[in-house]
Amino acid sequence: MLHVENLTVSIGDKRILRGLDLDVRPGEVHAIMGPNGSGKSTFAHALAGREGYDVGGTATLDGADLLEMEPEERAAAGVFMGFQYPVEIPGVNNMYFLRTALNSVRQARGEDEVSAREFLEVAKRAMQLVDMNPDFLQRSVNAGFSGGEKKRNEILQMAVMEPRLAVLDETDSGLDIDALKVVASGVHALRGPERSMVVITHYQRLLEYITPDFVHVLVDGRIVESGDSSLALHLDDHGYAQFLAVAPGDEQRSLAATRS
Amino acid sequence: MTTDSLTSNVVLPTKRDEAWRYAPHRTLAELSFGPPNGSIASVPAGLLDDIPVLDGLCVVVVNGIVDVGRSRLHSLVRGVTVSSRAAALATDRAASTPGDETPSPTDAYVVLNAAYGVDGALIEIEPGVVLDEPIHVVDISIPDHLGGASCARTHIHLGAGSSATVVETRISAGSGFGGSNVCTLVSLDDGAELEHVVLQDLPSSQVHLGRVEVDQATRSTFRARSFNTGGAYGRLEYHVVLRGPEASADLAGLYLGSGEQVLDQQVTVVHAAENCVSRQAFRGVLDDESTGVFNGGIDVRPGADGTDASQSNDNLLLSVRAEANTQPRLEILADEVSCTHGATVGRLDDDALYYLRSRGVRAEGARRLLIDGFANQIVEQVGAGPVRAWISHRLGYRDDG
Repeated sequence: MLHVENLTVSIGDKRILRGLDLDVRPGEVHAIMGPNGSGKSTFAHALAGREGYDVGGTATLDGADLLEMEPEERAAAGVFMGFQYPVEIPGVNNMYFLRTALNSVRQARGEDEVSAREFLEVAKRAMQLVDMNPDFLQRSVNAGFSGGEKKRNEILQMAVMEPRLAVLDETDSGLDIDALKVVASGVHALRGPERSMVVITHYQRLLEYITPDFVHVLVDGRIVESGDSSLALHLDDHGYAQFLAVAPGDEQRSLAATRS
Repeated sequence: MTTDSLTSNVVLPTKRDEAWRYAPHRTLAELSFGPPNGSIASVPAGLLDDIPVLDGLCVVVVNGIVDVGRSRLHSLVRGVTVSSRAAALATDRAASTPGDETPSPTDAYVVLNAAYGVDGALIEIEPGVVLDEPIHVVDISIPDHLGGASCARTHIHLGAGSSATVVETRISAGSGFGGSNVCTLVSLDDGAELEHVVLQDLPSSQVHLGRVEVDQATRSTFRARSFNTGGAYGRLEYHVVLRGPEASADLAGLYLGSGEQVLDQQVTVVHAAENCVSRQAFRGVLDDESTGVFNGGIDVRPGADGTDASQSNDNLLLSVRAEANTQPRLEILADEVSCTHGATVGRLDDDALYYLRSRGVRAEGARRLLIDGFANQIVEQVGAGPVRAWISHRLGYRDDG
């Protein structure tokens, strides 16, 4: 399903990803963990199609070359990225935005658009999943939302878009334990045999609620260790220091990562 | 001086006049002014079809003369008078209308308007009357191929404790050169509440000069919503005097420029009494080589203690050649005053575009969504639902309600 091979990303003259390999099969949930600055978010944005990245290597979804696509084409191909910092868009109604998004990908796939009434049903089901007040649909996208509300809104969007591949970038950051549980249960409910997820996180906390099939450790732009969910527990106990020593890259970077 | 020699004798403003700094003076000099020619010009078919959503009381003014045949002047609500000013003056009914004493003219175009603007809408709401349906004044200037600009004056007087919504639409037909020069005189008695919406949508070959003079008594409320989008030069000027204590003036506006348009907002709010509140919030969306101007003044006179005044101007530039000019003018001569102002000029947010595109919205649609969102924050401040929906439709936006 998702096949990533020797993926490199530079921003300007700064190399962030240095040859990342990852294979995700349908229905699998993969967690990517790593210290700050290791390239976790860059990996997510490279899959979603952020501009300004100098990208090399391969990333395909169901055989289609993601790296050749515009961000909106990737969404139509089934990629959904949950942002670590969802963008506030004052003046754009959340409901209108969601319906526009859903109909855009449906149109791109040659499917019929959903009517306002049909969409309301879709949205209602999604709202229940993330325990959101219906008022949220009438507010501007993320404008004035608390951190937890923004993250719930991301999961709400995921529920509406029903992606093939969900990439969740530090969805747990900035959440209190209740919000974390809501987000995690939303993610859990959206797991399915045809949907794969890549969950990026700094801490093991989220993985107590979302048990991943695989855990990967990303250090200095490369996956240096992979294992099952027990690896996350190990990392929680021992930190990333053991990997920093073996990781290639300049010393300063490793030191910075250790400190953070 | 006879009115006929007026045009050649007035001294037109120049670039050295701060309030006229960005105006296209050569184009303005080509406009000609004179008394209305007396007969109602024929209005091209279809011009009014675009305006039917507001189908209540309506005053249609064609080249400065009220077209009674196309207007709907009879209100079912007692205490509401909507008529032609010229007709009312003829029967002496408007003789006592406050606001008819012309404010001290500040420039040539106000002088010309006062001289040639013999007709226009007269709106009188008696004390205590609450009128829910909006009153629509449609000003149509039909080009005469001689560069003529029509002059009309709208008078609005709300008695104590009354409330109303008045919408003024300024349009024209054809692509010939010409335009309109419209002055609106508003007088609000104690506790009166007016929402006043202006939509300026003349063809881009023409010029609109609009001025709104507002005089507010104690605890009255004036809400202005302006949409300035037409004309080679579109100018909307507000001069609001908070004369009675605890009066409130809330002015919001949107200007949408493209091509080589110059859209000019000149706003002055005078705090002349204690404990008044005023707010100015204007936004511009400027594409191509268009120019937006916001010149906003807050004038707090001696003794106007407890003044609470704010001003903001935000501009979205869609092209590298578009230009936004913003100038705050604050003159504070009282104590215990809160005055804030701020201005921004920016481009579409790349992060927001990416966010929308990552959700499947195509690049052009994402741009549109962001621009609409920016502009919508002014549109949604129109209080009267049908008016808001109609403005949204007219500007090509959706109305989310």
